[in-house]
Amino acid sequence: MDIKLQIEEANKKVTEIFTKARPIWTKIEPAIDAIPGMTANKILVAGPPIKIEDVTIPVRNAVCGAAVHDGLAATTEEAWKKVEAGEIIIDSAQNYNCGCSATMATSASMPVIVCEDKQYGGVGYAPIHPGNSPKVLRWGYYDDEIEAHLQFFRDTYGPALNEAVQLAGGIDVVNVLARTAGMGDENHNRLFASSMFLDLQLMEYLPDIKNPKKDEVIKELAINDRFMLHVLMAAVEAITAAAKKVPYSTVMVGMGGNGVEFGIQVAATGNKWYTAEAPLILGSLLNPTYTVDDMLPYLGDSCVTEVYGLGGMAAVSAPAYVRMTGGTLEDAKERTDRARTVSLGEHSFNQVPWDDFKGSPAAIDVRKVVALNTLPISHGGSGLKKGGQAGAGSCELPLDCFKEALRGVAAEVAPQEV
Amino acid sequence: MANTSKIQDLFNSELIVLNVGPKSFSTALEDQGYKTVQVNWKPIAGGDAEMQKLLGILGY
Repeated sequence: MDIKLQIEEANKKVTEIFTKARPIWTKIEPAIDAIPGMTANKILVAGPPIKIEDVTIPVRNAVCGAAVHDGLAATTEEAWKKVEAGEIIIDSAQNYNCGCSATMATSASMPVIVCEDKQYGGVGYAPIHPGNSPKVLRWGYYDDEIEAHLQFFRDTYGPALNEAVQLAGGIDVVNVLARTAGMGDENHNRLFASSMFLDLQLMEYLPDIKNPKKDEVIKELAINDRFMLHVLMAAVEAITAAAKKVPYSTVMVGMGGNGVEFGIQVAATGNKWYTAEAPLILGSLLNPTYTVDDMLPYLGDSCVTEVYGLGGMAAVSAPAYVRMTGGTLEDAKERTDRARTVSLGEHSFNQVPWDDFKGSPAAIDVRKVVALNTLPISHGGSGLKKGGQAGAGSCELPLDCFKEALRGVAAEVAPQEV
Repeated sequence: MANTSKIQDLFNSELIVLNVGPKSFSTALEDQGYKTVQVNWKPIAGGDAEMQKLLGILGY
């Protein structure tokens, strides 16, 4: 078959996967039991692969904390020596169909959310969102208090939530998104409605679980108004896992930043990364004394929500969040229209009343991004170089990684013509 | 002899300028009282010849 026709067919297939998949949150398991390819000495982090010497300070803190938590080292200093010696391996989470927000480091013993899509066979993973406290591994901190919180997640919170999810017979993630569409979430940075609706799904079953600490579990869940994010990330990873198996498709299936470089993945070449200098996420700062010089460039995998067509792609869904990024309602519409220009499908579950009930765009074609010189917008939280969250905002995705992607996909599907 | 009435009509009708390119060209005419229509056209891939070739290979 002609290459152009093969690309067209492949893109139709991936667009179908993006818009028809129904990932179900089925369980929580330790990463080593759930994620194929995970090993005891492996720690998964956000973004494209990075040289050890380039790893940012907060990610290094998180990796070392995760290593101590898992008993791979007695101290964080020893942990880093083992990383440098190659005894502890750092790898890109998305290469394992796992999403790691911000500086989060996922080690073998950590409980991960497992989402399964029966329609297309993909399975995705993400660690559990640690809550609204800024003092967490997810923002590059580690101490005894955080270690105690990690142990609570491993020994109590994760197993208890798993019990509730089992009793519920799984939770349909797209159903949560559909039921809360039009409530002001864009589901990357603003997830108040979807998190509360997800909590309702769990609350029906949490009183019946056998875990003796269920009161603590309910309290931990109730204070986290962004709990949905990591469940959604696992769901998106289940969808992109299937999309990555479609050769010839030019649809973007992964993206993330490691604090130095920003990278994207394209269906035709699976887990291959195409990178460019990471942009800054600009918008609001949590502390007025922070400046741009304090900020790390893009760090985290939570933008897999944008890969799916939410977050910045669905900015018009959440004018209040766009306001936080310094934008207006018109800017919110422009961001979604921009994504629509370079996308192949539409999410019928996310029709926005104040956008003529149009659905949010899905399945970004990297060819369109380059040809039309139209860069999608990502929302996101921004990190500090020293660790901690700087604020939240938005940024244009860098054109250079899309250009690299075109080179890579052309070399893969038409090597004789390049 | 050629019929020039149509071209005469054109020259005698109101001038509306179709501008393909930098918006400042049409703004300058608007400032002088002329009507313009802006066409937001950009060369494919911003004129990048390598990308244009790759896009052709990839069926765009």
